[in-house]
Amino acid sequence: MKNCDQFRELIEAHALGALDLEERAVLEAHLATGCPDCAKAVEEARWLVSQLAYAAPEAAPSDMLKGRLMQTVRAEAQEQAKPHVMPAKSAIPFWLWAGIAALLVFSIYSAWNTQRLENEIRQANERATVLQAEGQKIQEQLADAKRAATIMMDPTSHKIALWGEHAHPETLEAKWHSQLGVCIMGDKVPMPGANHVLQLWFIPKKEGGKPMPSAMVRPDANGKLMLYVSAPPESMDDTKAIAITEEPAGGSGWPTTPILWSGNVS
Amino acid sequence: MFLAAFTSSGPREVSPDATLLSSLLQKDVSAFEQLYDRHSRLVYGLVLRILQQASTSEEVVQDVFLQLWRNAAQYDASRGPFVPWLCTMARNRALDHLRLKSERQRRREDIPDELPSAVVAPEYEKALDEKRRAERVRALMASLTPQQKKAIELAYFEGLSHSEIAATLKEPLGTVKSWIRNGLLRLKEGLQATT
Repeated sequence: MKNCDQFRELIEAHALGALDLEERAVLEAHLATGCPDCAKAVEEARWLVSQLAYAAPEAAPSDMLKGRLMQTVRAEAQEQAKPHVMPAKSAIPFWLWAGIAALLVFSIYSAWNTQRLENEIRQANERATVLQAEGQKIQEQLADAKRAATIMMDPTSHKIALWGEHAHPETLEAKWHSQLGVCIMGDKVPMPGANHVLQLWFIPKKEGGKPMPSAMVRPDANGKLMLYVSAPPESMDDTKAIAITEEPAGGSGWPTTPILWSGNVS
Repeated sequence: MFLAAFTSSGPREVSPDATLLSSLLQKDVSAFEQLYDRHSRLVYGLVLRILQQASTSEEVVQDVFLQLWRNAAQYDASRGPFVPWLCTMARNRALDHLRLKSERQRRREDIPDELPSAVVAPEYEKALDEKRRAERVRALMASLTPQQKKAIELAYFEGLSHSEIAATLKEPLGTVKSWIRNGLLRLKEGLQATT
Protein backbone atom coordinates (compact mmCIF):
# COMPACT_ATOMS: atom_id res chain seq x y z
CA MET A 1 0.00 0.00 0.00
CA LYS A 2 2.87 2.29 -0.83
CA ASN A 3 0.48 4.45 -2.82
CA CYS A 4 -1.42 5.18 0.37
CA ASP A 5 1.55 6.65 2.21
CA GLN A 6 0.63 10.21 1.31
CA PHE A 7 -2.84 9.64 2.74
CA ARG A 8 -1.69 7.83 5.87
CA GLU A 9 0.09 11.00 6.98
CA LEU A 10 -3.23 12.78 6.98
CA ILE A 11 -5.38 10.21 8.73
CA GLU A 12 -4.66 11.09 12.41
CA ALA A 13 -5.14 14.78 11.74
CA HIS A 14 -8.36 13.98 9.89
CA ALA A 15 -9.72 12.07 12.88
CA LEU A 16 -8.73 15.02 15.04
CA GLY A 17 -10.58 17.40 12.71
CA ALA A 18 -7.40 19.40 12.14
CA LEU A 19 -7.04 19.01 8.38
CA ASP A 20 -7.53 22.11 6.31
CA LEU A 21 -10.16 21.94 3.60
CA GLU A 22 -7.89 21.03 0.72
CA GLU A 23 -6.16 18.16 2.49
CA ARG A 24 -9.44 16.92 3.87
CA ALA A 25 -10.96 16.85 0.41
CA VAL A 26 -7.99 14.91 -0.94
CA LEU A 27 -8.17 12.32 1.83
CA GLU A 28 -11.93 11.93 1.70
CA ALA A 29 -11.78 11.45 -2.06
CA HIS A 30 -9.33 8.64 -1.50
CA LEU A 31 -11.45 7.10 1.25
CA ALA A 32 -14.41 7.23 -1.07
CA THR A 33 -12.60 4.80 -3.34
CA GLY A 34 -13.06 2.19 -0.62
CA CYS A 35 -9.39 1.59 0.22
CA PRO A 36 -9.72 -0.99 3.02
CA ASP A 37 -6.33 -0.31 4.64
CA CYS A 38 -6.93 3.41 4.90
CA ALA A 39 -10.48 2.80 6.14
CA LYS A 40 -9.12 0.63 8.91
CA ALA A 41 -6.48 3.25 9.73
CA VAL A 42 -9.23 5.88 9.95
CA GLU A 43 -11.17 3.75 12.43
CA GLU A 44 -8.08 3.30 14.59
CA ALA A 45 -7.36 7.01 14.44
CA ARG A 46 -10.91 7.84 15.49
CA TRP A 47 -10.60 5.59 18.50
CA LEU A 48 -7.20 7.09 19.34
CA VAL A 49 -8.59 10.61 19.20
CA SER A 50 -11.59 9.58 21.30
CA GLN A 51 -9.16 8.66 24.07
CA LEU A 52 -8.14 12.31 24.32
CA ALA A 53 -11.38 12.90 26.20
CA TYR A 54 -9.64 11.38 29.22
CA ALA A 55 -7.06 14.13 29.03
CA ALA A 56 -9.66 16.62 30.15
CA PRO A 57 -9.88 17.20 33.88
CA GLU A 58 -12.81 15.29 35.26
CA ALA A 59 -15.51 17.52 36.69
CA ALA A 60 -18.88 16.96 38.27
CA PRO A 61 -21.94 18.64 36.81
CA SER A 62 -24.42 20.18 39.22
CA ASP A 63 -27.15 18.16 40.85
CA MET A 64 -29.60 20.51 39.19
CA LEU A 65 -28.55 19.21 35.78
CA LYS A 66 -29.29 15.67 36.81
CA GLY A 67 -32.59 16.79 38.29
CA ARG A 68 -33.65 18.50 35.06
CA LEU A 69 -32.58 15.56 32.97
CA MET A 70 -34.35 12.97 35.08
CA GLN A 71 -37.50 15.08 35.17
CA THR A 72 -37.54 15.28 31.39
CA VAL A 73 -36.74 11.61 30.96
CA ARG A 74 -39.39 10.48 33.43
CA ALA A 75 -42.00 12.66 31.78
CA GLU A 76 -41.17 11.27 28.35
CA ALA A 77 -41.16 7.71 29.66
CA GLN A 78 -44.60 8.20 31.22
CA GLU A 79 -45.91 9.75 28.04
CA GLN A 80 -44.72 6.82 26.00
CA ALA A 81 -46.13 4.36 28.51
CA LYS A 82 -49.63 5.81 28.17
CA PRO A 83 -51.83 3.47 26.16
CA HIS A 84 -53.10 5.30 23.11
CA VAL A 85 -56.39 3.41 22.72
CA MET A 86 -60.01 4.32 22.37
CA PRO A 87 -62.01 4.59 25.59
CA ALA A 88 -63.59 1.38 26.79
CA LYS A 89 -67.17 0.73 25.77
CA SER A 90 -68.47 1.23 29.28
CA ALA A 91 -66.71 4.59 29.46
CA ILE A 92 -69.07 6.06 26.86
CA PRO A 93 -72.05 7.57 28.67
CA PHE A 94 -75.63 6.71 27.70
CA TRP A 95 -76.42 10.20 26.54
CA LEU A 96 -73.59 9.97 24.03
CA TRP A 97 -75.00 6.72 22.62
CA ALA A 98 -78.44 8.37 22.47
CA GLY A 99 -76.95 11.31 20.63
CA ILE A 100 -75.22 9.03 18.17
CA ALA A 101 -78.44 7.09 17.58
CA ALA A 102 -80.41 10.30 17.05
CA LEU A 103 -77.79 11.55 14.66
CA LEU A 104 -77.93 8.26 12.77
CA VAL A 105 -81.73 8.36 12.48
CA PHE A 106 -81.65 11.97 11.40
CA SER A 107 -79.00 11.18 8.80
CA ILE A 108 -81.07 8.31 7.36
CA TYR A 109 -84.22 10.48 7.29
CA SER A 110 -82.32 13.31 5.63
CA ALA A 111 -80.97 10.98 2.97
CA TRP A 112 -84.45 9.53 2.30
CA ASN A 113 -86.06 12.97 2.22
CA THR A 114 -83.40 14.29 -0.11
CA GLN A 115 -83.95 11.41 -2.50
CA ARG A 116 -87.73 11.91 -2.38
CA LEU A 117 -87.39 15.61 -3.14
CA GLU A 118 -85.01 14.88 -5.97
CA ASN A 119 -87.56 12.46 -7.48
CA GLU A 120 -90.32 15.03 -7.18
CA ILE A 121 -88.20 17.70 -8.77
CA ARG A 122 -87.27 15.36 -11.61
CA GLN A 123 -90.92 14.45 -12.23
CA ALA A 124 -91.95 18.10 -12.12
CA ASN A 125 -89.25 18.92 -14.63
CA GLU A 126 -90.47 16.13 -16.90
CA ARG A 127 -94.06 17.41 -16.65
CA ALA A 128 -92.92 20.93 -17.37
CA THR A 129 -91.04 19.72 -20.42
CA VAL A 130 -94.14 17.90 -21.72
CA LEU A 131 -96.35 20.92 -21.05
CA GLN A 132 -93.87 23.17 -22.73
CA ALA A 133 -93.83 20.92 -25.80
CA GLU A 134 -97.63 20.80 -25.82
CA GLY A 135 -97.84 24.54 -25.43
CA GLN A 136 -95.43 25.03 -28.29
CA LYS A 137 -97.45 22.63 -30.44
CA ILE A 138 -100.67 24.49 -29.62
CA GLN A 139 -99.04 27.78 -30.46
CA GLU A 140 -97.84 26.38 -33.75
CA GLN A 141 -101.37 25.05 -34.48
CA LEU A 142 -102.82 28.39 -33.52
CA ALA A 143 -100.41 30.19 -35.77
CA ASP A 144 -101.26 27.80 -38.61
CA ALA A 145 -104.99 28.36 -38.00
CA LYS A 146 -104.46 32.12 -38.10
CA ARG A 147 -102.55 31.87 -41.36
CA ALA A 148 -105.19 29.50 -42.74
CA ALA A 149 -107.94 31.92 -41.75
CA THR A 150 -106.04 34.79 -43.31
CA ILE A 151 -105.57 32.82 -46.49
CA MET A 152 -109.24 31.89 -46.61
CA MET A 153 -110.40 35.49 -46.00
CA ASP A 154 -107.82 37.39 -48.00
CA PRO A 155 -109.36 38.60 -51.29
CA THR A 156 -106.03 38.19 -53.03
CA SER A 157 -106.06 34.44 -52.38
CA HIS A 158 -106.79 32.29 -55.41
CA LYS A 159 -109.72 29.93 -54.95
CA ILE A 160 -109.41 26.32 -56.03
CA ALA A 161 -112.33 23.93 -55.97
CA LEU A 162 -111.42 20.36 -55.22
CA TRP A 163 -113.97 17.98 -56.68
CA GLY A 164 -114.47 14.63 -55.13
CA GLU A 165 -114.05 11.58 -57.32
CA HIS A 166 -115.28 8.04 -57.05
CA ALA A 167 -117.00 7.59 -53.70
CA HIS A 168 -116.12 11.06 -52.39
CA PRO A 169 -118.71 13.47 -53.69
CA GLU A 170 -117.86 16.11 -51.08
CA THR A 171 -116.23 19.22 -52.36
CA LEU A 172 -113.30 20.69 -50.57
CA GLU A 173 -112.38 24.34 -50.79
CA ALA A 174 -108.78 25.40 -51.27
CA LYS A 175 -107.21 28.81 -51.46
CA TRP A 176 -103.69 29.66 -52.55
CA HIS A 177 -102.06 32.79 -51.24
CA SER A 178 -98.91 33.80 -53.01
CA GLN A 179 -97.12 34.60 -49.77
CA LEU A 180 -98.86 32.70 -46.98
CA GLY A 181 -99.34 29.34 -48.66
CA VAL A 182 -102.21 26.99 -49.41
CA CYS A 183 -105.17 26.17 -47.17
CA ILE A 184 -107.71 23.40 -47.75
CA MET A 185 -110.91 23.03 -45.69
CA GLY A 186 -113.82 20.66 -45.77
CA ASP A 187 -116.75 19.13 -43.82
CA LYS A 188 -118.05 15.60 -43.54
CA VAL A 189 -114.89 14.23 -45.00
CA PRO A 190 -114.79 10.44 -44.79
CA MET A 191 -112.20 9.07 -42.42
CA PRO A 192 -109.30 7.28 -44.17
CA GLY A 193 -108.51 3.70 -43.20
CA ALA A 194 -106.55 2.79 -40.12
CA ASN A 195 -102.91 3.84 -40.32
CA HIS A 196 -103.68 5.92 -43.36
CA VAL A 197 -103.72 9.65 -44.00
CA LEU A 198 -104.91 12.03 -46.69
CA GLN A 199 -101.95 13.40 -48.59
CA LEU A 200 -101.86 16.53 -50.77
CA TRP A 201 -100.06 16.53 -54.14
CA PHE A 202 -99.05 19.36 -56.45
CA ILE A 203 -99.30 18.31 -60.09
CA PRO A 204 -96.84 20.26 -62.27
CA LYS A 205 -97.75 21.70 -65.64
CA LYS A 206 -94.68 20.26 -67.20
CA GLU A 207 -95.50 17.30 -69.37
CA GLY A 208 -94.60 14.08 -67.58
CA GLY A 209 -93.66 16.03 -64.42
CA LYS A 210 -93.65 14.10 -61.20
CA PRO A 211 -96.39 14.92 -58.65
CA MET A 212 -94.85 16.76 -55.72
CA PRO A 213 -95.80 15.20 -52.33
CA SER A 214 -96.96 17.65 -49.69
CA ALA A 215 -98.74 17.80 -46.33
CA MET A 216 -100.77 15.00 -44.71
CA VAL A 217 -103.84 15.18 -42.53
CA ARG A 218 -106.63 13.14 -40.97
CA PRO A 219 -110.08 14.70 -40.48
CA ASP A 220 -111.28 15.09 -36.91
CA ALA A 221 -114.02 12.92 -35.40
CA ASN A 222 -116.72 15.18 -36.94
CA GLY A 223 -115.25 14.89 -40.41
CA LYS A 224 -113.80 18.39 -40.39
CA LEU A 225 -110.62 18.80 -42.37
CA MET A 226 -108.17 21.64 -42.45
CA LEU A 227 -104.87 21.35 -44.25
CA TYR A 228 -102.37 24.14 -44.31
CA VAL A 229 -99.22 24.17 -46.44
CA SER A 230 -96.85 26.96 -45.66
CA ALA A 231 -94.43 26.18 -48.45
CA PRO A 232 -96.20 25.27 -51.69
CA PRO A 233 -94.36 25.45 -55.03
CA GLU A 234 -92.89 28.90 -55.56
CA SER A 235 -95.20 29.81 -58.44
CA MET A 236 -98.76 28.86 -59.11
CA ASP A 237 -97.98 29.21 -62.82
CA ASP A 238 -95.89 26.05 -62.68
CA THR A 239 -98.66 24.04 -61.02
CA LYS A 240 -101.38 22.49 -63.07
CA ALA A 241 -103.57 21.11 -60.29
CA ILE A 242 -103.63 19.88 -56.70
CA ALA A 243 -104.93 16.50 -55.65
CA ILE A 244 -105.49 14.40 -52.55
CA THR A 245 -105.01 10.68 -52.18
CA GLU A 246 -105.13 8.25 -49.28
CA GLU A 247 -101.67 7.06 -48.34
CA PRO A 248 -100.15 4.99 -45.56
CA ALA A 249 -99.30 6.88 -42.38
CA GLY A 250 -96.09 8.82 -42.89
CA GLY A 251 -96.95 9.59 -46.49
CA SER A 252 -95.62 8.40 -49.82
CA GLY A 253 -93.19 9.74 -52.38
CA TRP A 254 -95.51 8.80 -55.22
CA PRO A 255 -99.31 8.40 -55.19
CA THR A 256 -100.16 4.79 -54.43
CA THR A 257 -103.97 5.06 -54.53
CA PRO A 258 -106.46 6.70 -56.86
CA ILE A 259 -107.12 10.43 -56.52
CA LEU A 260 -109.93 11.27 -54.08
CA TRP A 261 -110.12 15.03 -54.75
CA SER A 262 -108.50 17.22 -57.35
CA GLY A 263 -108.83 20.71 -58.74
CA ASN A 264 -107.17 22.81 -61.42
CA VAL A 265 -105.13 25.74 -60.21
CA SER A 266 -105.78 27.88 -63.22
CA MET B 1 -26.55 -7.02 17.56
CA PHE B 2 -26.60 -4.53 20.35
CA LEU B 3 -25.37 -6.81 23.08
CA ALA B 4 -22.96 -8.55 20.74
CA ALA B 5 -20.65 -5.57 20.88
CA PHE B 6 -20.16 -6.17 24.53
CA THR B 7 -20.16 -9.93 24.70
CA SER B 8 -18.22 -11.02 21.61
CA SER B 9 -14.99 -9.28 22.33
CA GLY B 10 -13.18 -12.42 23.43
CA PRO B 11 -10.94 -11.97 26.43
CA ARG B 12 -12.12 -8.45 27.07
CA GLU B 13 -14.34 -7.78 30.00
CA VAL B 14 -17.97 -7.45 29.25
CA SER B 15 -18.83 -3.81 29.63
CA PRO B 16 -21.35 -3.21 32.33
CA ASP B 17 -22.76 -0.55 30.05
CA ALA B 18 -24.18 -3.32 27.90
CA THR B 19 -27.05 -4.23 30.15
CA LEU B 20 -27.88 -0.62 30.85
CA LEU B 21 -27.94 0.29 27.17
CA SER B 22 -30.11 -2.70 26.43
CA SER B 23 -32.56 -1.53 29.08
CA LEU B 24 -32.38 1.98 27.68
CA LEU B 25 -33.92 0.70 24.48
CA GLN B 26 -36.91 -0.28 26.61
CA LYS B 27 -37.06 3.27 28.00
CA ASP B 28 -35.81 2.15 31.39
CA VAL B 29 -35.39 5.36 33.40
CA SER B 30 -33.30 3.62 36.02
CA ALA B 31 -30.83 2.40 33.39
CA PHE B 32 -30.54 5.92 32.04
CA GLU B 33 -29.83 7.27 35.50
CA GLN B 34 -27.11 4.73 36.06
CA LEU B 35 -25.47 5.53 32.73
CA TYR B 36 -25.61 9.20 33.62
CA ASP B 37 -24.08 8.62 37.03
CA ARG B 38 -21.37 6.50 35.48
CA HIS B 39 -20.28 8.80 32.65
CA SER B 40 -21.52 12.32 33.33
CA ARG B 41 -18.28 13.40 35.05
CA LEU B 42 -16.19 12.36 32.05
CA VAL B 43 -18.57 13.97 29.59
CA TYR B 44 -19.00 17.14 31.60
CA GLY B 45 -15.26 17.43 32.17
CA LEU B 46 -14.65 17.15 28.42
CA VAL B 47 -17.32 19.68 27.52
CA LEU B 48 -16.23 22.09 30.22
CA ARG B 49 -12.64 21.84 28.99
CA ILE B 50 -13.83 22.84 25.55
CA LEU B 51 -16.35 25.55 26.44
CA GLN B 52 -14.77 26.88 29.65
CA GLN B 53 -18.20 27.90 30.93
CA ALA B 54 -20.20 25.84 33.38
CA SER B 55 -23.75 26.85 32.42
CA THR B 56 -23.24 26.34 28.69
CA SER B 57 -21.41 23.11 29.38
CA GLU B 58 -24.31 21.77 31.40
CA GLU B 59 -26.65 22.70 28.60
CA VAL B 60 -24.54 20.73 26.15
CA VAL B 61 -24.29 17.76 28.50
CA GLN B 62 -28.05 17.81 28.86
CA ASP B 63 -28.42 17.75 25.07
CA VAL B 64 -26.00 14.84 24.81
CA PHE B 65 -27.76 12.67 27.38
CA LEU B 66 -31.21 13.50 26.08
CA GLN B 67 -30.00 12.53 22.64
CA LEU B 68 -28.84 9.26 24.12
CA TRP B 69 -32.20 8.73 25.82
CA ARG B 70 -34.26 9.54 22.75
CA ASN B 71 -32.12 7.93 20.07
CA ALA B 72 -30.34 5.05 21.76
CA ALA B 73 -31.66 2.71 19.09
CA GLN B 74 -29.71 4.59 16.45
CA TYR B 75 -26.44 3.73 18.13
CA ASP B 76 -24.87 0.82 16.28
CA ALA B 77 -23.35 -0.81 19.30
CA SER B 78 -22.12 -3.79 17.35
CA ARG B 79 -19.41 -1.64 15.80
CA GLY B 80 -17.77 -0.18 18.83
CA PRO B 81 -17.71 0.54 22.55
CA PHE B 82 -20.03 3.02 24.14
CA VAL B 83 -17.84 5.53 25.96
CA PRO B 84 -15.68 6.64 22.99
CA TRP B 85 -18.86 7.12 20.99
CA LEU B 86 -20.45 9.13 23.79
CA CYS B 87 -17.34 11.30 24.12
CA THR B 88 -17.22 11.84 20.35
CA MET B 89 -20.81 13.02 20.41
CA ALA B 90 -20.13 15.31 23.37
CA ARG B 91 -17.06 16.81 21.72
CA ASN B 92 -18.90 17.44 18.47
CA ARG B 93 -21.71 19.18 20.34
CA ALA B 94 -19.36 21.30 22.39
CA LEU B 95 -17.33 22.36 19.35
CA ASP B 96 -20.55 23.27 17.58
CA HIS B 97 -21.28 25.66 20.42
CA LEU B 98 -17.77 26.99 20.45
CA ARG B 99 -17.85 27.81 16.75
CA LEU B 100 -20.98 29.87 17.04
CA LYS B 101 -20.16 33.49 17.68
CA SER B 102 -22.49 34.31 20.47
CA GLU B 103 -25.05 32.63 22.67
CA ARG B 104 -27.79 34.94 21.40
CA GLN B 105 -27.22 33.86 17.81
CA ARG B 106 -27.56 30.23 18.69
CA ARG B 107 -30.84 28.47 18.79
CA ARG B 108 -31.34 24.95 19.99
CA GLU B 109 -32.64 23.78 16.65
CA ASP B 110 -29.41 24.90 15.03
CA ILE B 111 -27.67 22.02 16.68
CA PRO B 112 -27.56 19.01 14.37
CA ASP B 113 -29.23 15.90 15.74
CA GLU B 114 -26.98 13.57 13.83
CA LEU B 115 -25.25 11.02 15.96
CA PRO B 116 -21.60 10.16 15.29
CA SER B 117 -20.80 6.81 13.81
CA ALA B 118 -19.45 4.14 16.11
CA VAL B 119 -15.90 4.41 17.32
CA VAL B 120 -14.27 1.07 16.63
CA ALA B 121 -11.73 -0.13 19.15
CA PRO B 122 -8.46 -1.36 17.62
CA GLU B 123 -7.10 -4.80 18.26
CA TYR B 124 -4.51 -3.48 20.67
CA GLU B 125 -7.21 -1.95 22.85
CA LYS B 126 -6.95 -3.24 26.38
CA ALA B 127 -9.83 -3.30 28.77
CA LEU B 128 -9.16 -0.71 31.43
CA ASP B 129 -11.52 0.81 33.89
CA GLU B 130 -12.27 4.46 33.42
CA LYS B 131 -10.01 5.62 36.16
CA ARG B 132 -6.96 3.71 34.94
CA ARG B 133 -7.64 4.72 31.38
CA ALA B 134 -7.79 8.39 32.37
CA GLU B 135 -4.57 8.10 34.32
CA ARG B 136 -2.85 6.41 31.40
CA VAL B 137 -3.96 8.97 28.84
CA ARG B 138 -2.99 11.89 31.06
CA ALA B 139 0.37 10.33 31.72
CA LEU B 140 0.97 9.81 28.02
CA MET B 141 -0.07 13.38 27.25
CA ALA B 142 2.29 14.60 29.90
CA SER B 143 5.08 12.65 28.24
CA LEU B 144 4.69 14.55 24.98
CA THR B 145 6.79 17.60 24.22
CA PRO B 146 5.05 20.82 25.27
CA GLN B 147 4.65 21.77 21.62
CA GLN B 148 3.10 18.43 20.70
CA LYS B 149 0.75 18.57 23.64
CA LYS B 150 -0.26 22.16 22.96
CA ALA B 151 -0.90 21.54 19.28
CA ILE B 152 -2.99 18.45 19.98
CA GLU B 153 -4.99 20.25 22.68
CA LEU B 154 -5.70 23.18 20.37
CA ALA B 155 -6.99 20.77 17.75
CA TYR B 156 -8.97 18.53 20.07
CA PHE B 157 -10.36 20.92 22.66
CA GLU B 158 -10.66 24.05 20.54
CA GLY B 159 -11.36 22.52 17.16
CA LEU B 160 -8.58 24.40 15.35
CA SER B 161 -7.17 23.25 12.04
CA HIS B 162 -3.50 22.90 11.18
CA SER B 163 -3.30 26.37 9.69
CA GLU B 164 -5.23 27.94 12.57
CA ILE B 165 -2.90 26.32 15.09
CA ALA B 166 0.12 27.49 13.10
CA ALA B 167 -1.26 31.03 13.17
CA THR B 168 -2.05 30.82 16.87
CA LEU B 169 1.35 29.49 17.82
CA LYS B 170 3.13 31.55 15.14
CA GLU B 171 4.91 28.46 13.91
CA PRO B 172 5.37 27.06 10.40
CA LEU B 173 2.50 24.92 9.15
CA GLY B 174 4.72 21.93 8.48
CA THR B 175 6.10 22.05 11.98
CA VAL B 176 2.61 22.04 13.47
CA LYS B 177 1.62 19.08 11.32
CA SER B 178 4.65 17.17 12.54
CA TRP B 179 3.94 17.99 16.17
CA ILE B 180 0.40 16.72 15.90
CA ARG B 181 1.19 13.58 13.94
CA ASN B 182 4.19 12.60 16.00
CA GLY B 183 2.36 13.34 19.21
CA LEU B 184 -0.61 11.20 18.25
CA LEU B 185 1.64 8.35 17.10
CA ARG B 186 3.43 8.49 20.42
CA LEU B 187 0.14 8.41 22.22
CA LYS B 188 -0.90 5.41 20.15
CA GLU B 189 2.29 3.57 20.94
CA GLY B 190 1.79 4.28 24.58
CA LEU B 191 -1.74 2.92 24.57
CA GLN B 192 -0.65 -0.14 22.63
CA ALA B 193 1.95 -0.79 25.31
CA THR B 194 -0.53 -0.43 28.10
CA THR B 195 -1.26 -3.70 29.79
